[in-house]
Amino acid sequence: MQATNPSCSENAPVPPMDPVLMAIIANRIDAVVREMTHTLLRTARSAVINSARDFSCAICTGDNELLACAEGLPIHIFGADMQARTMTERHADLAEGDCYLHNDPYTGNTHAADHTFLVPVFFEGEHLFTAVAKAHQADCGNSLPTTYMSTARDLFEEGSLIFPAVRIQRDYKMVDDVVAMMRSRIRVPSQWYGDFLAGIGAARIAELRLKEVCAKYGKSAIKTFIKAWLDYTEQRMINALKSLPAASLSRDGRHDSTPFLPEGIPLRVDVAIDPDDARITIDLTRNIDNVDCGYNQSEATAVSSVMAGLFNSLKSDVPRNSGSFRRVDIKLREGAVAGKPRYPHSCSVATTNVSDRMINLTGLAFSDLGDGLGLAEGGVGLGVGMCVLSGTDPRYDNARFVNQIHLCASGGPASASADGWITYGIPVVAGLMYRDSIEIDELKHPIEVKRAAIVAGTGGAGRRRGAPGSMIEYGIKSETMTMIYPGDGQEFAPRGARGGQDGGLAGRWLIEPDGKATKLTNAANILIRKGQTVRGQDCGGGGYGPPLEREPERVLEDVRERYETPARAREIYGVVLTGSADDDTLAIDLDATRTLRRHMASA
Amino acid sequence: MELAAAFPDVKTGDKRSMSFRISVDTGGTFTDVVVADEFGRLTVGKALTTPERAFKGLSDALNDAAEALAMDLPALLAQTELFVYGTTRATNAIVTRRGAKTAFLTTEGFPDILVLKEGGKHFPHDFATDYPAPYIPRRHTFEIRERMSSEGTASIPFDEAQARTILAKLKTLGFEAVAVSFIWSIANPAHERRMGELIEEMLPGVPYTLSHALVPILREYRRASASAIDASLKPLMQRHLQGLEEDLRAAGYQNEFLVSTSIGGVMQVAELIEQPIHTAKSGPAMAPVAARAFSGLETLGADAIVCDTGGTTFDVGLVREGELVYSRDTWLGGEWTGHLLGISSVDIRSVGAGGGSIAWIDDGGLFRVGPQSAGSVPGPACYGQGGTQPTVSDAACVLGYFNPDYFLGGRMALDQEAAHAAVSTVAARIGRSTAATAFGIINLASELMIKAIHDITIAEGVNPRESVLVAGGGAAGINIMLIAKELGCEKVLLPKQASALSAAGMQFADIVKEASRSLFTTSQSFDKVTVNTLLASLREELEAFRAGLNATQKALPYKIEFVTDARYASQVWEIEAPLPSAVFETNAEVDALTEAFHATHERLFTLRDEGSTIEFIGWKARLTVMSGIALDRIKPEPPPGVAETARYRPCYFGDDEPVTTRIWKGQELAAGTRVDGPCIIEEPTTTVVVFPGMSAEVTPRGHYLLTCI
Repeated sequence: MQATNPSCSENAPVPPMDPVLMAIIANRIDAVVREMTHTLLRTARSAVINSARDFSCAICTGDNELLACAEGLPIHIFGADMQARTMTERHADLAEGDCYLHNDPYTGNTHAADHTFLVPVFFEGEHLFTAVAKAHQADCGNSLPTTYMSTARDLFEEGSLIFPAVRIQRDYKMVDDVVAMMRSRIRVPSQWYGDFLAGIGAARIAELRLKEVCAKYGKSAIKTFIKAWLDYTEQRMINALKSLPAASLSRDGRHDSTPFLPEGIPLRVDVAIDPDDARITIDLTRNIDNVDCGYNQSEATAVSSVMAGLFNSLKSDVPRNSGSFRRVDIKLREGAVAGKPRYPHSCSVATTNVSDRMINLTGLAFSDLGDGLGLAEGGVGLGVGMCVLSGTDPRYDNARFVNQIHLCASGGPASASADGWITYGIPVVAGLMYRDSIEIDELKHPIEVKRAAIVAGTGGAGRRRGAPGSMIEYGIKSETMTMIYPGDGQEFAPRGARGGQDGGLAGRWLIEPDGKATKLTNAANILIRKGQTVRGQDCGGGGYGPPLEREPERVLEDVRERYETPARAREIYGVVLTGSADDDTLAIDLDATRTLRRHMASA
Repeated sequence: MELAAAFPDVKTGDKRSMSFRISVDTGGTFTDVVVADEFGRLTVGKALTTPERAFKGLSDALNDAAEALAMDLPALLAQTELFVYGTTRATNAIVTRRGAKTAFLTTEGFPDILVLKEGGKHFPHDFATDYPAPYIPRRHTFEIRERMSSEGTASIPFDEAQARTILAKLKTLGFEAVAVSFIWSIANPAHERRMGELIEEMLPGVPYTLSHALVPILREYRRASASAIDASLKPLMQRHLQGLEEDLRAAGYQNEFLVSTSIGGVMQVAELIEQPIHTAKSGPAMAPVAARAFSGLETLGADAIVCDTGGTTFDVGLVREGELVYSRDTWLGGEWTGHLLGISSVDIRSVGAGGGSIAWIDDGGLFRVGPQSAGSVPGPACYGQGGTQPTVSDAACVLGYFNPDYFLGGRMALDQEAAHAAVSTVAARIGRSTAATAFGIINLASELMIKAIHDITIAEGVNPRESVLVAGGGAAGINIMLIAKELGCEKVLLPKQASALSAAGMQFADIVKEASRSLFTTSQSFDKVTVNTLLASLREELEAFRAGLNATQKALPYKIEFVTDARYASQVWEIEAPLPSAVFETNAEVDALTEAFHATHERLFTLRDEGSTIEFIGWKARLTVMSGIALDRIKPEPPPGVAETARYRPCYFGDDEPVTTRIWKGQELAAGTRVDGPCIIEEPTTTVVVFPGMSAEVTPRGHYLLTCI
């Protein structure tokens, strides 16, 4: 858990159960989620899970409330409870030994590529918990070799197999027919099957451990705990909301255009904070209708993205579960691009593009509450460094491969108190995801990386600076290779907050052997040929507060460490430096800086 | 096992001639000394560490031990045949980045390997923390034009002229050490080797580290991080170890001087000056060595969990089937935010939990302990130095577990009033008595420790219920029995030397040296010839090292074991599996290796995938020269069982009313004595709380065997 100030708050209520026992059981439940996480991370086969950590584990209660989700990705926060509900509603004969697969974006899942394994946990004959392990698959049977089908006009063109809580184990034994179906419809089935076993394994470990916890403390204590824990987290959220000012906030944003969506997607969030009643309303109903491509949000991602924006803006480690969510009223409209999708609109890319923009938008809206609150916008866009690669590998008898690589490092947003996080990734993962090792990627795919480096001066300037973005470039060792990415970030930069500047834009290019560079579209499906390389520049994060208020010492360190350029130090930050970074003699000319800053402030 | 050669003949009538072994663990606060006599009997000495001059604290602690043996220090040193030294010097230099001014040379195009690192971030909604600075600043990073492919061919040839320009610059800028880590140097080290030659030529005398030579493992960050750390430590550790050895020689010591290492062994100074990174876990790596020895001595089984409780950190390690457990995922300065050691080291997990951890009630009314700590200044309220926040030590004080007349070995007066006042602030908030609240604090602190134990046992597939829990550290005895009960450990051993567990471990540590290479092959198309050649070269390397040992050491029994880092096809995390044989003649040996991998994977992750190809990535040989004290040499020294007047103190064990509790002195309890809880056993450097319903038994060697269930 994240540290908060150890003060004895005088007006906090006392939970209606033994306070020591409550803390201990909470710790044990947390340990179960961590053990699930460990199991999935270390046993999964595809790089998207075991290298990139694109998965989350959670525990729901028997009556389908989210109880714990430990260090799950922000975009996976919400929805496990909806998936558990789909499971209980669809299966009247739910029994011990069952396991269900759910990936249906219309009944609680994030997007079709996230396979979610649900194991109902029974104790003394009663369904007390559901263990939930969700993992992004390397392939999910889409019509193109990518798990992000941005071009799909609907679910059918998307082509993924959909499992609305389908039983895959009965009496702890595999339902072989379902496995056979999947094997015949998913690319590189051996890789998929390894991940399938790992996902079930993680949920089963949780089942075992939860039963041990129940046996140790007894059913009645566990039930008391569940209620007390959800009430406790609600109280934490009440306190957090009471500390905010009353306000109505609105922000507009935008997703870039693409070849199949020339207008891009305008986005909108309206927030109403009522500190007296300790409630917050986040209204997404003014968003446009579903689009005829894969960018639509699922309900789970619509809620998770604004919820993540909210939690990013709270200065407290309020646990993320149904207790704290009680205080948040999220208004969604069916058939809206940011909202509830109307069947059969495609939600193939629901976990990233629009969701990234919605997290940014919500955080930025909170910054309108006053200095010290909210965030700037973080780097967005899945490009060359986060594409899905597929083809055959001449080094291994032309074996087929399909996988998403994770070599992107978009810059994180600045907050009022810290510079952006360099390995932020994108808003929906917020730095939790692991970046790939170059050597591992070259071993697993026939590519050779030419460059992976931070680009100075691409972080949005501010009192606190956005993190700079990185440049990635690679070529291939096979004759051809398919690269597909859903894009964003080349037109609308991550915005700064409260006087902070915008982060740098993303850019993607195809480079010919003679060096000629062709700019790639925002979303792309490209066949790379031997001799060509692809290059991607990731966005920088937005800055927070006026750059002229940045401490000259921080600017000096930025230039010394090549996060900023000497020109930007002078022209944007108003800091005059002497000496040279080359011989370690760089220093601040304080008098000249003071004069320059005064001059710039009055200009 | 015949180990007589390790101990020169003992002349009858002069039992102390050349028969001592001294081990020293220089920690952050205390320097611990353990002296073993020719019967393997251990004597503990302690003194405050003196960071400015290591030898001062060391000689104070040595004097303390000599006094306990009724000898003077020169006589003790004159009769000592082996001196083993462990230190936190390297760790401190890494965490505080006080190593040498080090240049990081990397492949052109990849300047940010140390910035981007591996791993992620812990708290998704925390935006209040700046990104951690890399181990070597970006401005000290230099790109060299060269590139090896994953197949070991030169995609870009080594640009010697450009490399020379960079080295000239390093010379001008006065760099004191150089780390070289090129992409895929493990597939073909030619470029790194040439870089090394140029450094020797152009920067003569400047120490450097080549990544393929130090850690021939996959993943550019861990290789770069290990190399950067190693190079940065070279000038410092060379000065430190040589200086200390000189001081020891000046004090009259004439025999072998060895240093304890991160892989749980001991090594000569000359070797460690070449690769000082191996001293990074010098002290903590010795706790599992001690646990293995003590557990073996008491025949408690081959699986052990070892806990070392300090004032601010709680360390956990493992012994599995009599073997130490290793990890390449050791971070210094925090997982992901700190720096990865990259080398294989004894797996020790640390959490911030100890006597100083603060209890508090959060704004939702939840009772919490830590992660904040009162540290040593002002420290717990009971220290009487102005602390007002209720800590774990204050809770123990309120519960009556500390002897008010002999607190911290008599070095400090116990401020019971302050402790009560501090704990009662929390008690008032949750509507409990001060005593019940204090007991709650102890239980919640135990939870933090249980969490740390869970993390390592889960990762290693170890069942705590089937392991013996070995407790070390001065504060271990306060709650170790509560922890054992929660974990379901039936056997708990608290050694008499618990407060100097790492120093005790050094007495049992063997000379350990590893050699490794990377070579990719699979179970489907296993390259027997190349693997055989590789394994033979590893053996040769270790045999050559052994040939350089002194005559006594060369006469010792030794073994060479082989392991491979392997994984199922398309997994990315390797696990270490033992090689059933070091030569692959037929497919039967390959099948045996395949089975060994399945079995290891199943133990760690509860699943095996028979149908999957196995990929073998790395190969390692480990030489163990059995120089540690052999258990069968140790003669028991039963405690005397001196009768004293029975003493009692009111103590609390969860109820609001106190229980009149028997207080034993360790020396009162003869071997074989069993005492039932509630009671408290006081040893000079540790206290054991035996809770109601639990019991403690004194073993024939004077250790405490605790029964918690």
